[in-house]
Amino acid sequence: MEVKVLFFGVLAEVSGTSFKHYNNVKSIGDLKLRIQDEFPEIVHYNFRISLNSELTDNDLMLKSGDEVALMPPFAGG
Amino acid sequence: MRVNYLTDGPISKKLISGLIEKMGEKTDSGGHMVFFGQVRADEIDGKKVKAIEYSAYEELVRVEGEKIKKTIFSEFPDVKSVDIIHSTGIVKAGEISLLVFVSAGHRHQAMQACSKTVELIKENLPVWKKEIFDDDSHLWK
Repeated sequence: MEVKVLFFGVLAEVSGTSFKHYNNVKSIGDLKLRIQDEFPEIVHYNFRISLNSELTDNDLMLKSGDEVALMPPFAGG
Repeated sequence: MRVNYLTDGPISKKLISGLIEKMGEKTDSGGHMVFFGQVRADEIDGKKVKAIEYSAYEELVRVEGEKIKKTIFSEFPDVKSVDIIHSTGIVKAGEISLLVFVSAGHRHQAMQACSKTVELIKENLPVWKKEIFDDDSHLWK
């Protein structure tokens, strides 16, 4: 299984990419650990998560084709 | 004219005048309220902001934009239409990056709903900005 992760705002700069695919991740919590391992600096930033364009604070299970976005605080206007 | 929610680069005078031209078709409205957000040339540590680069999560902007409109229509029943346009990409100091256009039957709800829409955009629209200074360094906000 593969999920697509989108990095927005400063997190795109920290990770050096706007998106990346991850294999064999069970849940959002699992994915967060994988991302932190890969980009340790990310722990210094606050961010919210959305799963398939829906904001969530829960450690939801992931399935193949899911799109997860990592979003720093919004700053529109 | 429905142009929600994102446009590439600054919000053009053409887009603004297009909305104004269509105003007269809304004969159920007695008041229109427009908010323009403009890029400010802030000075931080002796450096001046020359532009802001905006990025957005387009799919979620649509979802959250619809939620904002739903909230406005339910809180302000006199409101007839709400348009929200936000820039992506580079917008220079002095250019417009946000347009909110609210039409209502009467002035009070037009004004209140426009103000509330701007606040909800600030809180809920997944948009990010990078201030670019005159020496080309940048700062995420």
